[in-house]
Amino acid sequence: MQHSDKIKTILLVDDDIDLLEQNKLLMESKGFNVVTAESGKEGFEVFNKIKPDVAIIDLIMEEYDSGFVLCHRIKKTEHGKKIPVFILTSATYDTGFKFSSETKEEREWIKCDGILHKPVVVDELISKLENYFDE
Amino acid sequence: MKDVKEHNAEKMLKDYSPRVLIVDDEKGLRIGTQRLLEMEGYYVETAENGTQGIDMGTKNDFDLAVIDLKMPDIDGLQVLSEIKNVRPNTVCLIATAYASYDTAIESTRLGAYGYIPKPFTPDELLYNLQKAYAQRLLILESEQLKKEREANLLELANERSRLSTIINLIGDGVLVINKQGEVVYRNNSVFHNLNIVEAKDNKELLSKLPDKIIDLINNYLGSDELIKKSYSTQIEIIQNELFIEAITSPVPNPDGSLAGVAVVIRNITELKKIELIKNQFVSMVAHELKTPVAAVLGFLKIIIDKNLKISEDQQNDFVSRSIVRLRSLLDLVNDLLDISRMELKTKQREIVTLDIKEIIKSTVELLEIEAQKRSISFSLVMEESVPVIKADHNEITRLFTNILSNAVKYNKEEGSISIITGSNENYLIVKVIDTGIGLKEEDKEKLFQEFYRVKNEHTRGISGTGLGLTIVKQIVDSYHGKIEVESQYGKGTTFTIYLPINNNN
Repeated sequence: MQHSDKIKTILLVDDDIDLLEQNKLLMESKGFNVVTAESGKEGFEVFNKIKPDVAIIDLIMEEYDSGFVLCHRIKKTEHGKKIPVFILTSATYDTGFKFSSETKEEREWIKCDGILHKPVVVDELISKLENYFDE
Repeated sequence: MKDVKEHNAEKMLKDYSPRVLIVDDEKGLRIGTQRLLEMEGYYVETAENGTQGIDMGTKNDFDLAVIDLKMPDIDGLQVLSEIKNVRPNTVCLIATAYASYDTAIESTRLGAYGYIPKPFTPDELLYNLQKAYAQRLLILESEQLKKEREANLLELANERSRLSTIINLIGDGVLVINKQGEVVYRNNSVFHNLNIVEAKDNKELLSKLPDKIIDLINNYLGSDELIKKSYSTQIEIIQNELFIEAITSPVPNPDGSLAGVAVVIRNITELKKIELIKNQFVSMVAHELKTPVAAVLGFLKIIIDKNLKISEDQQNDFVSRSIVRLRSLLDLVNDLLDISRMELKTKQREIVTLDIKEIIKSTVELLEIEAQKRSISFSLVMEESVPVIKADHNEITRLFTNILSNAVKYNKEEGSISIITGSNENYLIVKVIDTGIGLKEEDKEKLFQEFYRVKNEHTRGISGTGLGLTIVKQIVDSYHGKIEVESQYGKGTTFTIYLPINNNN
């Protein structure tokens, strides 16, 4: 991150341990500090303990909406309001799940700051983060 | 005289002898007339007085009657009147020497066809009878036509009421609009399918039609040329509850101009619901397929990325994990194919008499290696004589493989699996009891749903497609059997499978 010398800590939550490990490895290679959790429940515990700078949450975990639930819980906390939270999913318009975060209204409703599509492109994530911190 | 003879009557005489009644009190005239007419091909009967004439003329349906006006007992006009009363289609001629204008009028009024002045020549008589017979044929013909017409009218009335009953019975709404844009016909289904509770007349009905239907109708009515095409549109009448398809077609006049528009309104709610379920299923399948592909893709990208510099051990680990993901993807595809085949019922079944004990034993053997790794033991309690069932060997093997492999996968270290067979009057019963992680109440309900997998701290790392029990349920259902689940969270689960016994053997 060019605009900040401090190393950012990312919380990654995904119940697919393969994807979790891959993303952790890729993000670490770009200079992030990465902590992981494998469920919505564990994700909230880690969030409270670590207080990360960014949270990236898989949508479908224990339940089809576990990601949304965790996102809401994080955004209710004092710290959660200050950091960007992204929903990570392979569920998109093509697969019939109809939601997006195109408009401010939608982001308000979903309570997340953006949606990342699987497989996540780390460069895309970084540009999203830069956009977020520039705003 | 021949040239004036009625052609039709002459022809008729060749193959039919018209029946003539002669009523006359003069014996000589009776016999002479009879002889003459019989020679000309008539069938003749005679009556010697009025009383006999009435008797014969009313009892039989004569084609023609020649009635003498003056008779000692009863007047000829009286005889005429009585015969005509009963036999209106018998053509009667009055014969008399006492002709007068008055009697001529009176006899015509009573229904006489004509009047023969006495004495008459044979030619005069024959000419008059010929004309009378032609009249008789006309009367019979018109009588026949009248009967046919009445029958047709009755038929038409029946047909109309039949058609209207049929149109009212069908589930599709039928609506006909004339060129002026007025409703000229509608059946009851129009109301049901459009959820119109009440319309006091057709005008009000028109005002309650959905705009989309009105637009389609106006396409036809507003066009100068006849539109020959049909159009259809789908409308959601009640959200998520009532969908219809409206199909409009032109009704042309015989000259090709537009007479009106017919609208058929079909309830397609069930179709829409199936479509929705199908779409949801496709979405879930797409998601389930994308996930392992994304995982493998991720590993491969990391392996070939020179900047990441991962160790050889890590590389090997990623390759092995990719293989696991690809294997599970293959399992998933196979499960999906099985489900789709079973739903389409295209799966070739070979129904044979099955030894259920043999199938269970060989399934257990296959799973034993996996079970031993985690010190899980099997115990089989089987009746000496298990009832016979008839089913496809592969399907029943698949059923027990899925149930028993779940019992291994979701068991605890050093756990056990008991398989007990039994039966009642109708079913072969197999109980599979495991000492595994058990199910929560909310998981039990969703267990047989496609892609539903119990996710908690105990199930992490257990692979599966989420389709195993869906397939089990489908197989059991297809044989009209049933499956029950009892479970205690943390203690274990018991599946009870009921398969119908083939009683014919």
